[in-house]
This record gives sequence, C-alpha cells and structure tokens, in this order.
Amino acid sequence: MSNPARIVTRQVKPLLSLNENEARRRVFGLYKAWIRQVPFILQDYDIPKNAKDLKMKIREEFNKHRTVKDIRVIDMLVIKGQMELKETVEKWKNKGALMFYFKDTVEPKPTDFMSKFMNGTD
Amino acid sequence: MAKALGLDKLVNFFRSIKHNGGILGSLRTLYRVDELKFGDLIGEDKYGNKYYENNMYFYGRNRWVIYSPRVHMNYDASQVPAEWYGWLHYKTDLPPFKDPSRPKYKWMVDHTPNLSGTNKAYMPYSTVKTKIQAWQPKD
Amino acid sequence: MLRLPLFRAISRSNGRLTSAVCFHNSAANQQQPQQQPELIELFIDDKPVQVPPGTTVLKAAAMVGVEIPRFCYHERLAIAGNCRMCLVEIEKQVKPVAACAMPVMKGWRVKTNSALTRKAREGVMEFLLVNHPLDCPICDQGGECDLQDQSMAFGNDRSRFTDINFSGKRAVEDKDLGPLIKTVMTRCIHCTRCIRFASEVAGVDDLGTTGRGNEMQVGTYVEKLFMSEVSGNIIDLCPVGALTSKPYAFVARPWENHRTDSIDVHDAVGSNIVVSHRTGEVLRILPRVNEDVNEEWLADKARFSYDGLKRQRLITPMLKIDGKLQNVEWEDALVAAARALQDLPPNKCAAIAGCMADAEVLVAVKDLVNTLDSELLTTEQEFPKSGAGVDLRSNYLLNNKIANVEHADVILLIGTNPRFEAPLVNTRIRKGYLHREQNVAVIGPKLDLTYDHENLGQSPDIISQIKSGSHPFCEVLKNAKKPMIILGADVLTRKDGDKILAETQSLCKNIEKTVKTDADWKVFNILHTNASQVTALDVGYAASLEEVKKAKPSVLFLLGADENIKKEDFGESCIIYVGSHGDNGAQIADIVLPGAAYTEKTATYVNMEGRAQLTNAAITPPGMARPDWKIIRALSEIAGHRLPYDDLHELRDRIAEIAPHLVNYGEVEPSNFLKQVYELAKTTQGSFLPDPIDIKQKSLDQFFMTNAISRASPTMAKCVQAVQKQKQV
Repeated sequence: MSNPARIVTRQVKPLLSLNENEARRRVFGLYKAWIRQVPFILQDYDIPKNAKDLKMKIREEFNKHRTVKDIRVIDMLVIKGQMELKETVEKWKNKGALMFYFKDTVEPKPTDFMSKFMNGTD
Repeated sequence: MAKALGLDKLVNFFRSIKHNGGILGSLRTLYRVDELKFGDLIGEDKYGNKYYENNMYFYGRNRWVIYSPRVHMNYDASQVPAEWYGWLHYKTDLPPFKDPSRPKYKWMVDHTPNLSGTNKAYMPYSTVKTKIQAWQPKD
Repeated sequence: MLRLPLFRAISRSNGRLTSAVCFHNSAANQQQPQQQPELIELFIDDKPVQVPPGTTVLKAAAMVGVEIPRFCYHERLAIAGNCRMCLVEIEKQVKPVAACAMPVMKGWRVKTNSALTRKAREGVMEFLLVNHPLDCPICDQGGECDLQDQSMAFGNDRSRFTDINFSGKRAVEDKDLGPLIKTVMTRCIHCTRCIRFASEVAGVDDLGTTGRGNEMQVGTYVEKLFMSEVSGNIIDLCPVGALTSKPYAFVARPWENHRTDSIDVHDAVGSNIVVSHRTGEVLRILPRVNEDVNEEWLADKARFSYDGLKRQRLITPMLKIDGKLQNVEWEDALVAAARALQDLPPNKCAAIAGCMADAEVLVAVKDLVNTLDSELLTTEQEFPKSGAGVDLRSNYLLNNKIANVEHADVILLIGTNPRFEAPLVNTRIRKGYLHREQNVAVIGPKLDLTYDHENLGQSPDIISQIKSGSHPFCEVLKNAKKPMIILGADVLTRKDGDKILAETQSLCKNIEKTVKTDADWKVFNILHTNASQVTALDVGYAASLEEVKKAKPSVLFLLGADENIKKEDFGESCIIYVGSHGDNGAQIADIVLPGAAYTEKTATYVNMEGRAQLTNAAITPPGMARPDWKIIRALSEIAGHRLPYDDLHELRDRIAEIAPHLVNYGEVEPSNFLKQVYELAKTTQGSFLPDPIDIKQKSLDQFFMTNAISRASPTMAKCVQAVQKQKQV
C-alpha cells in the first residue's frame, strides 16, 4: 500500500517537504509551537479550560490525522495548522471559535430508531 | 492660594464625604454609583429619586440623579420620570415644581420604567391563525 | 406548459406512436397495427420527416422537434383551428396555413421560421394583445402563461398600442362558475379549449360562446355552476389567466413553489400528481402526465381538497384520561398502547385499515399483529372471502387496466358509478363512447354518467339472467369483441356480496367462452373506491369486519379507518387510532397516535389495476405527527416485539418479501389466474338478497366529501353547498 503511494509522491511536485523525514520534522515543529503557545492562549483568551485540557486537545487534533501518509497532504495539513496557530496567536479568533474545538455544547445526533422517532428527526 | 496648593481638592473631598453622610455613607455611595459628588439637592420625585446640581462640575456632569434606595442596585435611566427628564437633560433649567407652564391633567398616567428583563416585560405574540388547525375531540 | 406537448410528441414518436396521437387516429392505429399505411415524406424547415397520412403539420413538426406556437390546439381535444397562432408558410402556397388543422401532403416544404410565418404570428399576437389586459403582475397565470411565453418568443418587440386614453380595451363581465374556478373573462383569448373539454371529456355541455367577433364571449349561457367532477382541468387547459383556481387565487407564484411528484389517494385510480408547496404548506395540487392512469386530467376532489390537510389534524398523541381525550407526549401514548398489548391471548389484537393507509403501515401492522398471534386484519370496506378471496389477485383487480377501458366495445357496470367513484375511469369510458361507439349498460340505480347508457334494472338477479342468456342484453354481449364487466367494490360489502362476485365471475366465464377475445383481454374487473384496498388485500388483510367484531379483540388498531366502525361493536376493546385526521375513528379511540397525510410521507399505494406507485413527502408532518409505519415500529419496540426494520429501505425489503410487486413501482404485474378464479367461484354458495343494488355516490354533491381529508376541507364543503343550491334552481 505504501509502495505505490511513495512512487506517486516521488513523481508529483512536492508542496514543502521532499521526503517523509522532512514532513515529520515540520509536524513536530508545529506541534511544539502549539504546545509552547498554550500558556499564552490561556492568558489571551478567557476560556474555561486549563493547560492540560488544551494540550490534550492539541494532541487529539494532531492524532486525528495520524494515519495520513501522503507527504503533500501532511504538508497541507501543517500549513493549515500554522494558519490556525497564527489566528490564535494574533487573537483574530474569538473565544467561541476556540471553544468550538471542544464542542462542549454540541449534542450528538441520535442514531437509533427510537431516539430518532422521539426527536422527530430522520 | 488654596487652589494653587491643591488644597481645594482636599476641601471638596471632605465636602463630598460629608454630603454623602460620613465615611460609611460615602463607601455605600461609592459601591452603588462608583462616584462621590457633592451638590445642592434640587428636588425629589415621588419615586424617591433625588436630583442634585453643582455647577462646580463642568456642564454635562453638573446635574445628576441618585436613584431611590428602594431599588438598590437595580437602578436604570428609565426610572427618571418624564417631568425630571427635561431638567436632567438640560432641556430646561426649571425643575418641575418651579415651572408654571407644565400642564397637569387627570388623565396623565403614572410613569413606568422600562420593564424589560422583569416578568412584566412585554412579550410580543402572534395573532396570525396557525397554519395547521388541530382537531379537538368532541365530548 | 409550452414545452410539455413537444416532449410528449417526441417520446411518442419512438415506437409508441399508438396512444392517442389524436382520438381518431389512435383508434385506427391501435386496432390494426399491422396495416400501417404508407408514410408521407415532407420537409419541416428542410428537415425530412415521414408521417402517416392524415397527420397534421403541427404534429409532423413536433416529430422533428420543431415547436409551432399554438393556443387553441390541444392534443387531447378536438381540433378547432381558431386561434391562428400556428400559421406556417408552405412553399408554393399563397397564404400561410394553420398547422394544427392542416393534414400533410407529400413533398410539402413547411417553413416555420420564415419571414412570412413570423409576420403572420406577430400579427396574430398583436391582435390577441390588443384586447388582452396588461395585468400580468396581478394575474395568477403569470409565470405559467402561454400568452406570456409566446408573446416573448414569437411576438413583436414593440407596441403600436396608443389607444389607452380613448376607448380602452374590450371588457367582459366575469362569470361565476362555482367555488372552484375563478374567471377573469377579459383575459380570455377565445381558444375554446374549455368549451371543448367540457363537451368532450367532462361530458357537461355547459360552456359555450355567445356573440361574434369582438362581442364573442365564453361562458355558461345562463349563470350556473359548472357541474362537473373534473372541472378543475379547464384551469390547466386555459392558456391565459381567464380561468384560474379560486382557492389558489393570489396565493403564490409558480416559480417560487417547490414541486414534489406524488400520487393521489382520494380514489383508487392512483392519479399522478404534482404537489406544489412552499413554507411547509401545500399550496395546490396539479396533475402529472401518466398515459396509463390519468392521462393529464385530475378529479376535483384530488385537486382541491388539499386545504383539508391543514384542518382537523391530529398533531399530538392523545390518551383517554377520565373519559376524555387529552394531549400527551409520545412516550406516554406509546407506553399506554404497549401496556394494552401486553400478555394478549391469541386472536385478541385486530386491525382495520382505512381508505388511505399505505403499504408500509399495512405491512408493519400486519407484522405486529401476527407476532401477537392474531390474524384479525381487515379493511373498512369488506371484500368477500369465499371463492378465490384474496388469494388470487385477479379476483379483486381491474384486470384489464385503466388504459384499456376506452378500447372496450361493451361495458357492463354492476353496482358502480364510475363518474364519482373513479372520475378518470369514467372519462375513459366516455372517450370510448364518443370515438368507438361503446355500448354501456348499468345494473344499479338510475345514474347520470355523462354518456348514453342502458339501465338494466336494480335487481341482482339480472346478473343471473344475463348469464343464462334470458336477458335481452345478452345479444349485445354476444356481438361484442372486447366486452368488459366492471363490478363496484362497494356492492360487494352487501350481505350477498360473495354471491354477486361469484355470479359475475361465472358470467364473465360464459362471456369469455362465447366471445373470442384476445388472450390478454380480461372481461372481469373490479372498480375499487379506496386507495388502500388493493394494497391491503395484496398484503393479506383477509378477515371480515364481522369476524373482527365477533372475536371481541382487546386491542383494535384503526389505520385511519373512519367508516363503518361504531364504538358499540368494540365495547371492551382498547381502540388505537393511527391516522392524520380527527374524524369518526379518532372520536371513538382510546389512544390517538398522529400519523402523516399522503403529502407528508414517502409511501406506496397500489391503484385499482394493481399498479404500485410512490408518493413523495412534500412537507413534514405537522406538530408531533410521524409517518405511520414509524409509529407502529416504535410501538412494537416498546411493547417488546421489535419489528426488524429501522428505515424505509429495510421496510421495503420486508414488503418485497411479502409481495414483490408492491415495490415494483410504476408497473402492473399482469393478472394471470382468472381461470382459477372462475373455478373457485363455483364453490360459492348462497343466493341473492331481494334488495336492489344501490350506489353510495349518485350525484355530484355526494362526490366531494368521502374521506377524512375531503371532509375536513372547506373548499369541498363549499362545492357541496354550491351543487345543492344549483339543484334547487
């Protein structure tokens, strides 16, 4: 499975990284940057979370994409992560946008027949 | 001379404290309105709001109201009745009891403050017929 | 509107040239497809086309995809040729000719877009617009108006109309055609489509013209109601806004409506409809073309009773507390119902299907009742159990299919009034009567069927007389080539219904012996009145009402059943009503579970010929109402007998297990077991009752309110009033 992917990645134009190691380095760089930012986020935003919560959330967000193997996709995700970080650092985000990561108030949609029936949702 | 030394500030400070009824009274006022002022009591309306004036303060701050102690912290600009509103907002310099030209009719209603946020607040409701008319069982 | 006929003509040209190119032609084609006459070649805009002789220029043009504008021409009506909008130039002819009325000649070169044609069209359009009011912004036809469309496409782009301050435009007084049709006669362009429809299809010769030239007016000669059960179709036919829908007046614009294809359930024809809706409300219902079922017509009850969907609705579950029905939450109602279902001995749970129950809920209820060890399933309109019963579909279908009704040469109606029980079957019979000289006879009371027919009397004995050959009508039957016997479903609910059914079947057997019919021509047909009936019989709602009453069920499900059910018969039963409208059924119920009406659920309905069709959910059910089958499914889970389907697909799989044809949408499974049906009919014993055969719906005022939806509809109530008032005059 990884073999053909590697062939493909070798042929296409790289986004940032030339090989897996470089991509990996970028990911870790981004991860460290986020973790270092945690105390400042807590200072800048009035959110009901502590450093541990934020670190867990950052870890979770990174883990969401742990199965991605394509270097170009990894690069793209890193770029997006950097953009997010920038927005957070510059306080372009507001409190709600940050809290959206936690989805505390989002009620999960019912999946079984009876709850769907009672809810009146299909 | 006293002004040059800044002593008048001190004098005013003590006047304010006295005006607000001593140290305890001043603390209470500070807690309630965040400000210590002193001035002449111009009048009081029937709801217990007191109106003061002191032209030592510059225009815009020289007339003020201290709301009735009955409302505690729940004071609100809409508790100023219409007759004092004009004086407080410099529409007239005559307080209501000195103004001869103010009409007084029997049918004039009592002042009501803005009731938003209380259980007497106005709630709009639809008078449109519902799209679906439900069946009512016959008995 | 403009594009539709063209599409139809094209779809017909590939292989299906047979069905009604025009009444007269289609007759010839369908009868003798082997004697295809020589084709004539002509050229439309230099495109060659080969057509049979007698084809008009307009139809030939449609075959090569050239649309000729028209107002008066309508392919299901006789050709009038009076609007002159279809003028085309034909090479080497001095004057332009009306394409709709001119049969083609060999080698003609028709020019539909030449300078002469365009000038002619623009001239006609200008004349039409001279006297047409400029009230499009307040006209209900605006947006779906042929005159608007065609003046944009084919009219001149500038006006010579400068007369506004002088004499003004022609003004015509509006006519009162009753509570369904709004008239603004100033807008009329005298295409006479409505007049032709009334006299040809509806069979009510009320509309006509008075005056000539500028003084010409369309209307009823004296002020009267347009007394027809298919009157709404003249609204669709009117190319301008002269005839519009009264209940829909100033309600919405066509381009802002959402349209959902659906099926009508007010009768067993299964007419295809389009539900126009917006902001969660059904705004109007229009017919959809289906040549095999409703052509492009729709009965008034189907078209106008939609306001009944907003009244008398069940929107919350209800529970009888202290002898009074009170609104409760779903949990409470379901738990109460489930408690009633606990520890039932066998055959103590029953279900009665109403006239608008869909296949999904019928199957779900059957599964639930069967898991409770009961077989007490029936419909509010009984079907005889003897003979083939519900075991063979041929026993209870309109075997010959609706489309073939017009091809019959002799029709015997027994205890049915198709004019009101199935108006679109009646238009088929009228079509056969007009164009094929059909002989129609009726056993039953005196009826006004919109065509001449022979009334043989009211006694059921006449069936036996015809069978034995002692009745004079036998002569007619003997000479028939394509006879049809149509038996009303309602007459079978009589005490001697099984005898009538058996006797009719043996009569059909005799006819089939003496008359050489095609192998696929079925003589025996049943005309149902309830949309749910065929589905229920297919699924196996085989018990009779008597049996259910005798069994004294502890729990009785009413699936929208409102007729023939009395509280006294089910004294000790817990009655659970599942349905959309509060009517007789909900009134006697102990637990009311609000269901969805046919516009609010995706559901399967089977029409009287056995064609499964699908309604689509146009809007959501109101309030706390839910699609019917889901209620049963939820109840089953709480009662501890979980039905094994969670969504429509799984339910459809289950339906397919029981009856595969129910999910074969749009198709009719051919009915092949008539012989066996006839054999089984011999086993039926008994004799006729002396009482004469009667029919419930004898006059127009009895037509409008027959089920919960139409009874809740104010428009239908107005119609009944108007008809009764007209009768007194």
